[in-house]
Amino acid sequence: MRKEGPVAVGFIVGLVVIIVTYFSAKPLVAIKGELDQWYLIATAFAVAVGLVNLVQIHMRKIQHKREGWGYSIVLIAGIAGFLLFGLTVSSAGDPKFQWMYNTTIVPMNATMYSILVFYIASAAYRAFRIRTGEAAVLLVAAVIVMLGRVTIGEMISPMLPKWTSWIMNVPNTAGMRAITIGATLGGISQALRVLIGIERGHLGGVE
Amino acid sequence: MIAKGLVSAFWLELVYCAAILVLISRSRKGLKVPTVYKVPGLDAMDEAIGRSTEMGRPVFYSPGIGDLQNAQTLASFTTLGYVARQCAKYDTGLIVANRISVVYPITEEIVKQAYATEGKPDSFVPDNVRFFSEDQFAYAAACVGVMHREHPAASILIGGFWAESLIFAEVGSQVGAIQIAGTANTHQIPFFVAACDYCLMGEEIYAAGAYLSKDPVLLGALIGQDWGKMVSVAMIVVGAILATVSPKANWLLTMLKQ
Repeated sequence: MRKEGPVAVGFIVGLVVIIVTYFSAKPLVAIKGELDQWYLIATAFAVAVGLVNLVQIHMRKIQHKREGWGYSIVLIAGIAGFLLFGLTVSSAGDPKFQWMYNTTIVPMNATMYSILVFYIASAAYRAFRIRTGEAAVLLVAAVIVMLGRVTIGEMISPMLPKWTSWIMNVPNTAGMRAITIGATLGGISQALRVLIGIERGHLGGVE
Repeated sequence: MIAKGLVSAFWLELVYCAAILVLISRSRKGLKVPTVYKVPGLDAMDEAIGRSTEMGRPVFYSPGIGDLQNAQTLASFTTLGYVARQCAKYDTGLIVANRISVVYPITEEIVKQAYATEGKPDSFVPDNVRFFSEDQFAYAAACVGVMHREHPAASILIGGFWAESLIFAEVGSQVGAIQIAGTANTHQIPFFVAACDYCLMGEEIYAAGAYLSKDPVLLGALIGQDWGKMVSVAMIVVGAILATVSPKANWLLTMLKQ
C-alpha cells in the first residue's frame, strides 16, 4: 500500500493533465489549474526543506572547521542577508532589493557563464586530437564551421560559409532530429511506465 | 473535440501507448523479451563505481537541472537508485548534487532506501545528498567546488542539462574522474561527447532503468519504443519520396499538422 496509493494518485492526476492537453473540457481545465497551484505550493515548501539542508551542512562545516569553512560563513551570511532584507526591509520588486541582486547575483552568474569559453577551448582541444577516423572527420568539419562563421573564412574562400551552412543544415540537423525523435519516443514511454507504476524510481525507492 | 493542431498527435500517441501496453502485458505473461544492444555508458557504471571504491574516493552524481515535470529527471531517479545500491554494497561514498528543491527530498529518499535495501541503513550519510541552489550557475559553481574539494573518482551526470553541462564535464576531467553523462537535450550532447568518457544519447537515458534492472516487463516496453522509431523512419521515407516526386503534394504534412 505504501507504493500503490501514490501510484494511483499519480495515475489519476497524470491522466487529467493528458486529457486537458488534448481536450479542453472546462471542468478538467479548472482541476488542472488547481493541480498547478498545488504543485507551486509543494515547491515552495520544498525550497524551505532545501534551505534547511543547505544551512545544516554549512553550519556543521563551520562548527568542525572543515576545509573551506570560511566560504560557508560567507554563504550563511548571504542567505541570512537576502532573507532578512527581503522579509523585513524590502520586497523582490523593490529597487533596493533589485540593486542587491544586480550587484551580487548577476555578476557572479555572468562570471560562471563566461568561464564556459575556456572550457569550450579545452574540450575542443581534446576532442579534435586526431586519434581515430571519426575524430579526423570531426576536426575537418569543426575547422570548416569555425572558419565559415567568421569574416576571415569568406576571405580565405567564399565557399567556406556555404560549406558551413550545408554541414549545419544537412548532416548536423539530420543527426539532431534523429536523436530528438528517439528521445521523444523514449520520453513518452518513460511517462507511460511512470503513469502505470511499473517504474517507481520517483517514489523514493529503488526498483 | 480534440484541440486544433493536436488531432494527429493524439491518435499517433494513443496507438504508440497502446502498443507499449500490449508489449508490457505480453512480457508479464513471460513471452520472449528482446536482447537489448550493449550501451557502453551503462555497462561502465559498475566500472566507475569500482574505480571509486578502489581509490577510496566518492562518486559524484547529478540528476541535472530539470524539475519533476521533466521526463529526464524521472529517468535519472532510476539510474540513481542503481548507483546508490552499488555504492552502498561496496561502501563507496556517494555525493548527490541537487538544483531543484522538489527533487532534493526524492533523491535523498532514493539513496536512503538504497542503503536500507543493501542492509546498511547506518552507512547512509544525509550530508552527502545536498541541495545547492535553484539558480543555474550558483548550482554549477557549487558542483565545481565539490568536485575540486572532494575529488570524486567518478562523475555521473544523467538528466536534463543545459549551459552548465560543459562546466561539469570539464571540471570532472580536470579532477581525473571517470565520467558518464547522458541527456536528451540535443544541444548539450556534443559537449558530453567531447568531454566525457561515456555518453548516453537521448533515448538511452530512458532505457537505463530497463537496462540496469534487466526487468523483463521494462524490457518489453523498449520494443514499443523500437516500433515507434520504425514508424517514424517509415513516415520520414514516405515524406522524403513525396517531397521529391511531387513537391506540391504535401498531404502527409497537412494531415500531421491537423
